[in-house]
Amino acid sequence: MASSYWDSTQRKFWTFTKQQLNLERKKLEESERNLVSMFPLPDRRLLSIYFYHQLSKMARPLGIRQQALATAQVYIRRFYTKVEIRRTNPALVLATALYLACKMEECPQHIRMILAEARHCWDVDTSFNDISKIGECEFTLISEMNSQLIVHHPYRSLAELQSQFQLIQEENALAWSIINDHYLTDLPLLHSPHQIAITAIVLAVVLKPTQGNLQPVQAAGVANALQTLGNARNGAAQGAQNRVQKLVDWLAESSVDMEAVVECTQELISLYEIWESYTDKTCKDQIAKFVKARGVDK
Amino acid sequence: MFSGYNTKKRVAERYRIVGFISSGTYGRVYKAEGKNGRIGEFAIKKFKPDKEGEVQYTGISQSAIREMALCTELEHPNVVHTVEIILEEKCIFIVFEYAEHDLLQIIHHHNQPQRQAIPAKTIRSILYQLLQGLVYLHRNWVMHRDLKPANIMVTSSGKVKIGDLGLARLYYKPIHSLFTGDKVVVTIWYRAPELLLGSRHYTPAVDLWAVGCIFAELLSLRPIFKGEEAKMDSKKTVPFQRNQMQKIVEIMGMPSKDRWPLLTAMPEYGQLSSLAAGNSRFQRPQGLEHWYRACLKSNNYPPGPSPDTPGEDGLSLLQQLLEYDPQKRLSAENALQHPYFTTHSKPSENCFEDSKIKYPVRRVSQDDNDIRSGSLPGTKRSGLPDDSLIGRPAKRLKEG
Ligand SMILES: Nc1ncnc2c1ncn2[C@@H]1O[C@H](COP(=O)(O)OP(=O)(O)OP(=O)(O)O)[C@@H](O)[C@H]1O
Ligand SMILES: [Mg+2]
Repeated sequence: MASSYWDSTQRKFWTFTKQQLNLERKKLEESERNLVSMFPLPDRRLLSIYFYHQLSKMARPLGIRQQALATAQVYIRRFYTKVEIRRTNPALVLATALYLACKMEECPQHIRMILAEARHCWDVDTSFNDISKIGECEFTLISEMNSQLIVHHPYRSLAELQSQFQLIQEENALAWSIINDHYLTDLPLLHSPHQIAITAIVLAVVLKPTQGNLQPVQAAGVANALQTLGNARNGAAQGAQNRVQKLVDWLAESSVDMEAVVECTQELISLYEIWESYTDKTCKDQIAKFVKARGVDK
Repeated sequence: MFSGYNTKKRVAERYRIVGFISSGTYGRVYKAEGKNGRIGEFAIKKFKPDKEGEVQYTGISQSAIREMALCTELEHPNVVHTVEIILEEKCIFIVFEYAEHDLLQIIHHHNQPQRQAIPAKTIRSILYQLLQGLVYLHRNWVMHRDLKPANIMVTSSGKVKIGDLGLARLYYKPIHSLFTGDKVVVTIWYRAPELLLGSRHYTPAVDLWAVGCIFAELLSLRPIFKGEEAKMDSKKTVPFQRNQMQKIVEIMGMPSKDRWPLLTAMPEYGQLSSLAAGNSRFQRPQGLEHWYRACLKSNNYPPGPSPDTPGEDGLSLLQQLLEYDPQKRLSAENALQHPYFTTHSKPSENCFEDSKIKYPVRRVSQDDNDIRSGSLPGTKRSGLPDDSLIGRPAKRLKEG
């Protein structure tokens, strides 16, 4: 399976360094300088959280699987590295990404069902009322992504690694939810799914979830975890829990890029930090502003 | 989008349509030449909109999406190369490298005017290349699911290329969906017994059964199991393909629990006994070995071991491909290690090497050169009588 990721279009065309990604986005913003200054937007991570909420609202009544949601999130992120968000109607892009992702993830939904759910969860001013809008946007999405629609997810690596690490059920669940969270950041464009899965596992083990106590992950907790991990790596953790030490030894032996694990973790910490300032309303309003101003897309 | 979809590339600016090749389940295939600096020949597959003459965007069918995604992702010398995909005016065009021949056409050429066997070396090279393409697909978790002579292309320089990924699937996706999405897979003559018996958890082994059938067909120039397709009834329940199973059993004998332990767990297992009742040929099946020897003889392959006959190794390979139990069936990788390929010299990368036979070029018709014409005549393969001559089975059903 690793071989299939290695040669994948995801690795070849949709994995960037941070600098590359910043450059792409800068280029995009500069080409739309007016729009950008006219319509300020919340932090990208906050928007991503909002998008995720909206996607979930559409997905839940239709029983759409998490993996399809994840694929939709990746499509949206890829798309917005190539098209300035203020030129689009995010409501339409989200619905279309979900529609397309469901087909790719083998849980197809009828276009009318997607339209109906989309209309449900967006206000009238950002809404649209015709399946042909989704159909047309699908062309745009596919064409911007150069038909590169196959997405490799960390879930599969997690499933493969969980027995190797002998994860207990709570750890596995926590790793899973950390993977869910990473789609709210740029990590899917920066690291391999394998790398993400390892990060999620490391954090899950270090964070020691206790039974029946699966709280949302907090920035401070992850920062502590990073500290613990660092200590264990330096051999400075007196009486560090056996499990963590074992894990660190394993990581040292296998060719895992620990710097990348640290990088991914930091990305997650800043997500959890900014999450505390999140409100639905801010995102919703700012989006509505530019959609309305540019003429309603009905 | 606010501005609507704007195509960045246009077919007409990049290609000149030479003629029409074929109309399949999902669209039409045209032959084209490069334009404006693009050199070479191409095959362009145009997907029809769901409804004919559709003027609105209605969403792309799942199978087209799959084919586009897989064509973009896959790259191997033995898989038809995708040059680009163009989305224009509500239509999808996949541009492929052009292949002058396909196995159906090659088999057809050897059938007329009189039957003349395909050289053993040609067959060996074809299978070798086909299996390499299949190893690549399976390593990348792709099941082809519709391998048949018409879907295997051969270039004028003898390179074999797997085509038509329209039914291909990534099989690490949840297993249940493999069954629920589309109930009918693989043209019936090449359909593996576990599929005929209603298996829900099928594996890449279905492709190797098809390779076995293709091997047999290359040797005998006729489909080995030429069953009649039972049509879906009005309730859209999937019928048991009784006749197809019968054809297999007539040669291979009844599958047994001893050789295929999971046989009794197959949903349609009960049908087998009713098949046997009252059919005397089942008590005395021909046997694959007998079939094979008769076939070599009637097609004048020389006796005794030599590069000019598939020989005993060919029989052994065929037996291991047409193995009832999918778990025992050879994998593509193991098939390549079979003595059929490893004794004697390495099979050629050019299946026409040392062959004096000249194959006709692909027929291209001029009836329909307008690739952009929206409405499509309902008749299939109007330009190509080849298919109807040999009486190919009904096309696979369209899926959602
Ligand atoms: N690359 C190619 N070069 C030349 N001819 C091709 C090429 N690809 C396909 N063809 C021709 O077009 C036919 C149909 O192509 P393909 O199998 O991809 O379409 P399809 O719609 O899935 O058809 P079907 O339902 O008959 O399988 C092939 O059998 C072959 O004759
Ligand atoms: Mg075909």
